[in-house]
Amino acid sequence: MDQERTATVTEPKESAVLPDGSKEFVVDVHTEDMELNMGPQHPATHGVMRILLRVDGELVTGAQPHLGYLHRCAEKIGENVEWLQYLPYTDRYDYLAAMNNNLGYSMAVEKLLGIEIPRRAEMLRIICAELNRIGSHLIAFGTYGLDLGAFTPFLYTFREREWMMSLFEKICGARLTYSYIRIGGVFNDTPPGWLGEVSRFCDTFLVKWQEYYDLVVENQIFIGRTADVGVIPREMAMDFGLTGPMLRGSGIDFDLRRDMPYSLYGEVDKAGALNIPVARGEKGSLGDCWDRVWVRTMEMKESIEIVRWCLDNIEAGPVIGELPKTLRVPAGEAYVGIENPRGELGHYVVSDGGKVAVRCRVRGPSFCNLPVLEEIMLGTLLADSVAIIGSTDVVVGETDR
Amino acid sequence: MDFTGICDRLKAIGAPGILGVDEPREKNPEDKKDLGRAGDSFVLVDPEELEGFLRFCRDDTELQFELLCDLTATDPGNDDEELWLNYNLLSIAHKHRLAVKAKISKENSNAPSVADVYRAAQWHEREAAEMFGITYRNHPDPRHILLPDDWIGYPLRKDYEYPKEYRGISCE
Repeated sequence: MDQERTATVTEPKESAVLPDGSKEFVVDVHTEDMELNMGPQHPATHGVMRILLRVDGELVTGAQPHLGYLHRCAEKIGENVEWLQYLPYTDRYDYLAAMNNNLGYSMAVEKLLGIEIPRRAEMLRIICAELNRIGSHLIAFGTYGLDLGAFTPFLYTFREREWMMSLFEKICGARLTYSYIRIGGVFNDTPPGWLGEVSRFCDTFLVKWQEYYDLVVENQIFIGRTADVGVIPREMAMDFGLTGPMLRGSGIDFDLRRDMPYSLYGEVDKAGALNIPVARGEKGSLGDCWDRVWVRTMEMKESIEIVRWCLDNIEAGPVIGELPKTLRVPAGEAYVGIENPRGELGHYVVSDGGKVAVRCRVRGPSFCNLPVLEEIMLGTLLADSVAIIGSTDVVVGETDR
Repeated sequence: MDFTGICDRLKAIGAPGILGVDEPREKNPEDKKDLGRAGDSFVLVDPEELEGFLRFCRDDTELQFELLCDLTATDPGNDDEELWLNYNLLSIAHKHRLAVKAKISKENSNAPSVADVYRAAQWHEREAAEMFGITYRNHPDPRHILLPDDWIGYPLRKDYEYPKEYRGISCE
């Protein structure tokens, strides 16, 4: 911090006459705006992101996210490797929700191929995607506590996430970058007893969930730090193209799983197991940080409902369709958007009928949810800026791709 | 609303700049060169009319595309003289999508910015500009976003040559 900081005390300009007749002098203290680099290695920026803050004393007068520290040209790689080979790269943009990324990419390619997915594979896809959503929200929830100075929830949520990751380890061998959901189905059937363990996880998790809710979400200190902070009104949310919990946190009832159903979510919805939580502005203005955290917390519970529905309805059968070793995708273009934990993950793929994609565009929800920071951080206190950044739940691997 | 319904509505309200629609079709079994086309339908729009077209899509009560979901560009290949601009619109109220495409020449690659219509376009346009070398006219903040400021070339163009070194770091 080498910026010069000067304070000038100007002459008393205004004076008010107090009720007892004495005069009160108002002294103006002008401080110059200071530029403050937050990051790229600041623990509260959730990765290598840099935010250039402009502060006037304690007030934030400008915030500019600078991206690109993690840029790995995922889209260019997609144009250089074969269709099936690109799958492991999808794990790496939103590394907290790798199952969902696999699903999005596979669905985009399947749309061009026009193939049917076996029913058991669809069920396993939903189970994995929803478990991964819980894992991702647990991180968002735990690290948000860290951002606000509460260390305990972080340790609790990582305990449950550990179980979720070991479930994934049993099914595909990896703990973070799964590549389990493949084009045409899933990589392998479940090991014996796996579905029973998922069911036990669901039961245990709901008990723990209630603890988190009481400990953090309804905590008066937590409410004090997050209610009425970083408010995103409805119009702003739509103008900035927000999706996922950020959109529902502003009171807009929209979820791709229910409103544009893909995979078997349409059946889940018909069975009544898909109740999307939408913020109502209970603790402050609609669209504040508390609302966004509340939406994520409730979504974890909803995901358990969806997983339970799948566990009740899953049947034996094949898990992957027959595909040639070298995949040739019919010429055409397709866009598929799915509901990632952070919002809409879109894949736009273009094929010319060959072994390699012509274009492999990734619309990352973190990237699209981030620019709103420039707007909502204006005029807030410096101490709240961390609360606001944390509530957007960015994963920098995805903003930079 | 489905794609045909959206197209009919666009014609009925007189949205500017529509050049045509492209829908997936089956392979022609008699013509071996014909590959057919799979995937999504899209509307082809004159690039100069983009801003007005998107404004119509956003403001019409029956279309009501409140969200600009995605904005990107595509280089279809070295044989092609044109770049595609891709827009993907989403309506929350009516739960439908529309893919919009405009074609601009690679030689003189500039297009109007739509950041006035959708604020979401601003960052997407910055990305497309640095990756494809497109100049978005009247863009409020035309800086690089993912690449360093001194990066040479447009990485997502098909004729991009990989750099040998960057600031003394060998890339080979």
